[in-house]
Amino acid sequence: MQASSKQLYQYPLHLIFHPFDGYWELKYERNQKTTLLIALMIMVLLIVTKILQAQYSGFLINYNNPKYLNSLLEMVYVIVPVLFWCIANWSLTTLMDGEGKFSEIFMSTCFALVPMFLVHFPWIWLSLAISEQETAFYYFSNAIAVCWTIYLLFVGNMTVHQYTPAKTILTMLLTLVAMAFMAFLCLLFFSLVQQIVSFVYTIYQELVLRG
Amino acid sequence: MVCLLLFSSAALPASADGEADAYHYSYYGDAVPAPAAYEASMIITGRTLNISSFKEPSDMHVTPDERVYVLDSGNGRIVELDRNFKLVRTIDSFKNAGKQDQFKNPQGLFVTEKGDLLVADSENHRVVHLDDKGQLVKIVSEPKSDLLNEDFQFKPIRIVMDKGERIYVMAAGVFDGFMEFSADGEFSSFIGANRVQVDPVEYLWKRFATREQRSQMVMFTPTEFTNLDMDEEGFIYATSGDRGKDPIKKLNAQGTDILRREGYAAPQGDLRYSTEGGASRLIDVDVGDSDMYSVLDSNKGRIFTYNGDGYLLHIFGGIGNRTGMFNTPVALERAGDRMLVLDKALGEITVFETTEYGRILHDAVRSYYNGEEDQSSQLFAKAAEMNANLEYAYAGIGKALLRQKEYAESAEYFKQSMERKGYSKAFLLYRKELMREHFSWVMSGIFLAAAAFVTVIIVRRQKRRTTNAGIK
Repeated sequence: MQASSKQLYQYPLHLIFHPFDGYWELKYERNQKTTLLIALMIMVLLIVTKILQAQYSGFLINYNNPKYLNSLLEMVYVIVPVLFWCIANWSLTTLMDGEGKFSEIFMSTCFALVPMFLVHFPWIWLSLAISEQETAFYYFSNAIAVCWTIYLLFVGNMTVHQYTPAKTILTMLLTLVAMAFMAFLCLLFFSLVQQIVSFVYTIYQELVLRG
Repeated sequence: MVCLLLFSSAALPASADGEADAYHYSYYGDAVPAPAAYEASMIITGRTLNISSFKEPSDMHVTPDERVYVLDSGNGRIVELDRNFKLVRTIDSFKNAGKQDQFKNPQGLFVTEKGDLLVADSENHRVVHLDDKGQLVKIVSEPKSDLLNEDFQFKPIRIVMDKGERIYVMAAGVFDGFMEFSADGEFSSFIGANRVQVDPVEYLWKRFATREQRSQMVMFTPTEFTNLDMDEEGFIYATSGDRGKDPIKKLNAQGTDILRREGYAAPQGDLRYSTEGGASRLIDVDVGDSDMYSVLDSNKGRIFTYNGDGYLLHIFGGIGNRTGMFNTPVALERAGDRMLVLDKALGEITVFETTEYGRILHDAVRSYYNGEEDQSSQLFAKAAEMNANLEYAYAGIGKALLRQKEYAESAEYFKQSMERKGYSKAFLLYRKELMREHFSWVMSGIFLAAAAFVTVIIVRRQKRRTTNAGIK
């Protein structure tokens, strides 16, 4: 299939409304390179949305302290969970005879995030024109976006790995556990590195002050 | 990330543990500089009164007509001063059944509106009630009740009396709240007990511990109160020393906590503190007029004043050797616009006068409390001019602008004040106004857009039909 500019936005939109078709296409019919490109673009858009949201959301729903806004951190808050999910999912499904490759897992996860972007982006501007009672709509549509994303993740996982629904749910739950485990290992690693660094630094100081 | 946090906290203009005397907490809980609301003006010691110096004084009371009573525990006497801090008399004994009787390390003092004196005579395990001449009215000693243990020892520490002459006693080693005594001195009940607060981690350890280990651990007991005060309407304000959930409480007659906590953070003293320094330990509370109340933190020697809604107004004081700082502050009382702080170790009273900023702020709160909103908004504007960090003041301005139908400006001020409810109200009205003003062209714009959209769809369909026909 050729990548036309029209396809870039048509395919993700098609996928979120017809996830079974969409994910099937993703796994078996589409050009992997184009799809990967679209997936990366979705992630970039989501990052941009998050950054804009933190800065420009309406006062009534924006509880961020402007002093601590950090676009780099916002970026990390999007990328790290997605990567953690993909790695955890891939590690698990290789053991549980899933048929998905890592790139497929990554792409399906990114495509599942499209509703997040679609719902959140307009709300950055809409939230400027709402009153306190109307914030209910904001929180409601947020909830819808999350549910939609979870549903897409579910279908994506099922299609990519060719699992039964029950097994998909089990895998998703186990993935969450694996993510927590990974986070724990990372923290442990970082704290150990920090201790080593401070130990080396202390020795260095000792030497300098003695000399 | 930790690094970033450290860096940003170091860059704060005034940290809670830093050198700055007067500071304030912003909406986000950061310490920000603020002008001083009070200034130390005078120090009163035994020497300035021409009597022997105070020895470990532990409590103080100021009547509404600003007479000052100091409970000089170490000397077992009560020292009365007039409103200009001149000595009136000292009471060190009273006639009890024909004999001279004395206090033994009394800890608490309360003076009623009539001028009756109530003394928590701790080492004698009794409460002494004297009239304004110093004659004994009654003595409340060891209460007898089924609610109390057999081996209960009555050791009153702090004391208040309400208009119905009921006595509320804070006694040492009592975890069930304040002891309430009826007018004739009979113990009736406990009120306002603090709830037990359980640390989940500690609870888990306790579940796994053996009986022997458990006996070594600390018991889960409710926190004791550290002090109490009564406002004009008879509500008891109480402080607890531990940093529980709510270290300040306002108790109604049933002992239910009715303190308003509408401010940016619940009233609790310092919001930020270092691990070594520890949290605020609130040991006294004083209720002033217009529902404003101040609490004294013995840990850092600071005084925090809140208004009736629970907004922090100002902070002053500290531990140190300068005038206006304390060694071991134990009691806090307001005498009109002045604030008195009693120092136990130094045996002196520091008198604070309000600065211009403090006066304006207090007057603003007062006029708002009394419903004079225009005056209060003007005063709040003045206070905000002197202290741009006082976010609370902007809401006062916003409210006035809202009534003047300046909706956009009002919303802006509410936003400055982080007051979401007020902002929403002003914004809704502003939106309505805007819509009404521009209704015609907004509506026609929408209509035109809809028409254009429909046309585009029809044209497209036509095109597709013709091309399809062409293929055929």
